[in-house]
Amino acid sequence: MKPPSFRRPEASLPVAALVLTIIAFVLIPTYTDTALSSFDVYNTLQIFARLGLLTLALGLTMIAGEFDLSVVGTYALGGMLTVQAGQQHWAWGLLAALGAGAAVGLLQGGLIARLKIPSMPVTLATYIALLGLTSALSGGLTKTYANVTVTLWVDQPVLTYFSPRSLITLGLFAAAAAVLSLSRWGRELRAIGGDRRAGRVAGVRVDRLIVGTFAASGVLSALGGSLLSFSLGSANPDPGVQPLIVAAAAALLGGVSLAGGRGHPLGLLGGILAVALLAEIVAVAAVPQYVSQLFFAGLLGIIVVIDAPDLHSALVRQRTRLRPSHHPRTSI
Amino acid sequence: MSATGEELVRVDDLTKSFGSTRAVHGASFGIAAGEIHALCGHNGAGKSTVVKMLSGQETPDAGAIRIGGDRLDLHSRQVAQRSGVALVDQELSVVASLTVAENLMLGDLRAGWLNRRRAAGPRLRALLDNVGLGHVDLDQPLSELGIGERQLVEIARALGQDARLLILDEPTATLSDVESEYVYAAVRAVAATGRAILFVSHRLGEVLGLCDRVTVMRDGAVVATTAVAGLTIDSLIVQMLGEAPHRLRKRTGREAEGPAEVLNVSGLSVAGRVDDFSIGLRPGRVYALAGQLGSGASEVLRAIAGLVPAATGDIEVDGVTVRPGHPIAATRAGIAFVSNDRKSEGLFLDKPISWNLLATRLPAVTRWGVIDRQRWSTALTRLVGLCGLDGKRSADSVRSLSGGNQQKVFVGRGLGRSDVRVLLLDDPTRGVDVGGRAAIHVLLRDAADRGMTVLFSSTELEELLDLADVVITMHKGVVVRRHDGDVAGPVLLREMTHGAATPAEERR
Amino acid sequence: MNVMSAPPRSDAPIRRPGRSRSRAELVIDAVLLLAVLAAIVLALTTHRFATVANAKAILTSASLVGIAALGLTLITIGGSAVSLAISPSVAAVGMIFLSAQSFGLVPALALAVLCGILITGVQGAIVGYAAANPVVLTIAASFAITGIATGVSGGSTVSPTGGGYDRLNATPGGVALSVYVLIGLALIVQWTLRRTGFGRSLYLIGENRRAARAAGLPVGRTTAVAWLAAGALFAVTAAFTAAFNTSANVNLGGTLTFDAIAAVLAGGTPIAGGRGSALRTLAGAVLIAAASDILLLRGSSTGVQILVKGVIVLVVVVLVHLRTEGSRA
Repeated sequence: MKPPSFRRPEASLPVAALVLTIIAFVLIPTYTDTALSSFDVYNTLQIFARLGLLTLALGLTMIAGEFDLSVVGTYALGGMLTVQAGQQHWAWGLLAALGAGAAVGLLQGGLIARLKIPSMPVTLATYIALLGLTSALSGGLTKTYANVTVTLWVDQPVLTYFSPRSLITLGLFAAAAAVLSLSRWGRELRAIGGDRRAGRVAGVRVDRLIVGTFAASGVLSALGGSLLSFSLGSANPDPGVQPLIVAAAAALLGGVSLAGGRGHPLGLLGGILAVALLAEIVAVAAVPQYVSQLFFAGLLGIIVVIDAPDLHSALVRQRTRLRPSHHPRTSI
Repeated sequence: MSATGEELVRVDDLTKSFGSTRAVHGASFGIAAGEIHALCGHNGAGKSTVVKMLSGQETPDAGAIRIGGDRLDLHSRQVAQRSGVALVDQELSVVASLTVAENLMLGDLRAGWLNRRRAAGPRLRALLDNVGLGHVDLDQPLSELGIGERQLVEIARALGQDARLLILDEPTATLSDVESEYVYAAVRAVAATGRAILFVSHRLGEVLGLCDRVTVMRDGAVVATTAVAGLTIDSLIVQMLGEAPHRLRKRTGREAEGPAEVLNVSGLSVAGRVDDFSIGLRPGRVYALAGQLGSGASEVLRAIAGLVPAATGDIEVDGVTVRPGHPIAATRAGIAFVSNDRKSEGLFLDKPISWNLLATRLPAVTRWGVIDRQRWSTALTRLVGLCGLDGKRSADSVRSLSGGNQQKVFVGRGLGRSDVRVLLLDDPTRGVDVGGRAAIHVLLRDAADRGMTVLFSSTELEELLDLADVVITMHKGVVVRRHDGDVAGPVLLREMTHGAATPAEERR
Repeated sequence: MNVMSAPPRSDAPIRRPGRSRSRAELVIDAVLLLAVLAAIVLALTTHRFATVANAKAILTSASLVGIAALGLTLITIGGSAVSLAISPSVAAVGMIFLSAQSFGLVPALALAVLCGILITGVQGAIVGYAAANPVVLTIAASFAITGIATGVSGGSTVSPTGGGYDRLNATPGGVALSVYVLIGLALIVQWTLRRTGFGRSLYLIGENRRAARAAGLPVGRTTAVAWLAAGALFAVTAAFTAAFNTSANVNLGGTLTFDAIAAVLAGGTPIAGGRGSALRTLAGAVLIAAASDILLLRGSSTGVQILVKGVIVLVVVVLVHLRTEGSRA
């Protein structure tokens, strides 16, 4: 069996991003006065845990050829429900969050699949509505979570580098990777993302798959919000737009495409780990924030160029022009 | 009826209408177990609708489909697959972003939820070898394969589905001869295991060489089902065309030594599609490229219009070279193009008729970039009159028009302008009713009489015979013959479906 | 004056006179009519809603988002979906505008518009000529713009170098200057879309880029020009926002990106392009501002206001989609 080809962007992009950031991370002592400690790795994984599930949720919908902007809204709502419904017992909060995430996902998936509406406007509206709902639930205030035991538990170091929170996130990435590799859903998800008509003709149940993907996206984002609330011991009604933009960038670095049909959870893992490493480098090495932003801009710029169709046509034209041309012949 | 075996598939009185047009009425035929059954007919005869009903993409209005004696209600692709119907669609239906193995397993009902890629390896490998793709790696992305190889992957997928009825809708249209041979062998092997095969094709040679019986359709009805043993290409053509084909062209052709050539194309090639096409066209005449799907006729027109980036060769209009691969350059040089897909590459369906008619001549109806109502309405009135459209409806959206009138708008966009020298039309009357067809023919003839050069592609014999001064037949990417004078319909159809006749075939 | 009584679909781009409406359209129109009536009743029964002072407040709160949304309207109609880099562009241009105050108001404004045109125009050229995905491109652009702005400013807040900017905070006739500018710009954009060759091409390209390309329309140039104009409008928003805040940093844009998208969508412009108008976007911005205003007057929290904004956008998106599909059936 041949190893996966690294010429394919879903493999090469996350690998390149991850390798670059790991090198930069390992070399921190050479360009700053700070030495690296195991705590830096732990911290990187904590940053990863904060945005990982968001990236996974968004990335899965992108593989299916959709774009779920509402993930950050569900993330905020999940976090808030966890705190408000979970004051008695953490499990009630978690259940409320996951239930709400599933309901939001099913609603959106149903609208998008049945009515064939483009996903971006629908999920943008839901995003705004969910932020409003979260804010209404909390009265616009940050709510604190009294259950300190849970807060301490989710962030306690495990095996030096990990915490239960980062392990759960890693586990869900592994689970998503396993499900998409070991079941027919993986190829069917990429099939409907890559060419929906061909998928339908081949016999894929397109509508069910879209609804399922959005439900999964909702549950994952809500869980991401829950874990964050447990960790912070509080829930913030407005996470801002930054998590969305960063998650989208991480997903794109992870090798998925807005055109759909491309990508794998392991690639998404590579993408978000690169982002987390970069954030940790910025923190440890006191690199100015704007350097990492320019770095993202550069990487995403490469993605734009790879995916631009008319640029391809121009290149094909150039190549064709360079070939020796035919001699003029007499007309038939 | 044939004695190849017991009847496995039975279709009775199948009927389907779309709006007021009856696509299929009262179609009945049977396919025996182990039989390769051809479905032939000229374009619009109703073949694709029959295929769609058998594969669960359309529900019949009336009639019955039986497989193995059970009457089936095939209301979706999944139901059809579960009932044992496998399909190779007319349109390529494999996914470029998946690997070859994933495409082979896509939609396979027996695959279960678990991905048994490794366990299925040997079986998938055998499927590929079967259709001559021994050199293709199972884990290669499909996007690295050529169009012909992708088509073979789709065929391999259908062959592997262990179906009772296997439908192949023009499976070889985009394949080379060598690739086609693999398909024939694989189809024969599947038939030998006692399954029924429905083989839809325009290539009459392969129909006679491969199939056991042929059902011919014309105008939505079944003409006859005949064993191939009693058929020749010419008798098949008679069945397909009815009494029509012996009308000779009345046009004597204008004098060959007319004015200088307007469009000159030499050595035009598109890898895998068109090989070394050359032509010179004079003004005031109507030229036709006659060729079926996969003949390259469509690609020739698209390449001249600048829509094929990978095309090589020289294109000149009035002696000036046109930059290839640039639609704007082609438009500036005076080439107007009417695509065969008016919905996605032609009209702006939700926009008014007026906007569509004037879309390509905005500079002529604006002053300092602002639309000049006077010029706009003058140009519009002239064009609406020229195209024979209803002037009162020019504010209606194009979507609200019939297919024929939509096509008039599309063709009309290139008419009545002095700056358009060459009008290219890819299958200009596809999906247009008889009345609309005649109206478009008049439009094109008028345009030629005013000095324009018209080049269209078509598969319709009547259209080729009625409209064109010169017919050039194409088959599998190369020109078969150029007919400047009179030509009989059956000759054209023979060249389109069979290429240049070899001496051995001439005797047939 | 009752802004809610303006039906959102009053300026549908294509009237189909003499064509019977399908049942789906009738049902949707009935639902819309009921919703508008309910809103009017709700509005009129709300204490202090139907007052001149309140109308001014609504318009003022709609004006800044409205001007940026006009720019986005051009991008959306032309088939480039949305720009996700509105907030960073506005922040960067706002910083430039305040730093240039020492040259006087007019040169500073000119410089701001020029920079706005440049920043967004470059993105438009890439989208137009290379068919780059506008969403990915503008995410990249938002990182680049924020990064450069932070690098150049050193992450600090820019204070005005002169007092000329304050003239933008004027309230002639008791209404903020930005409201006049919004209405004036909306009329100009509307006229450009309706009456110029550029406007026609933009609608055609937005509806069907492939067809426009095959017909030989200047797809790249038209798209680039639409983005250039959008950049100028973002710059105007930036100048007003910076003047209002009297200082600017990289967070000046706030949630403007999504507010502008919400206004465009609430106006009934589909994200797929080829339809929509400046006046619809104006109506969308005012609709959202008015709904928030009613809720505010009735004592609802900010959260409920945002929730209702999201629901309005969702309902309009679904209804516009169903209605378009219904008329196609």
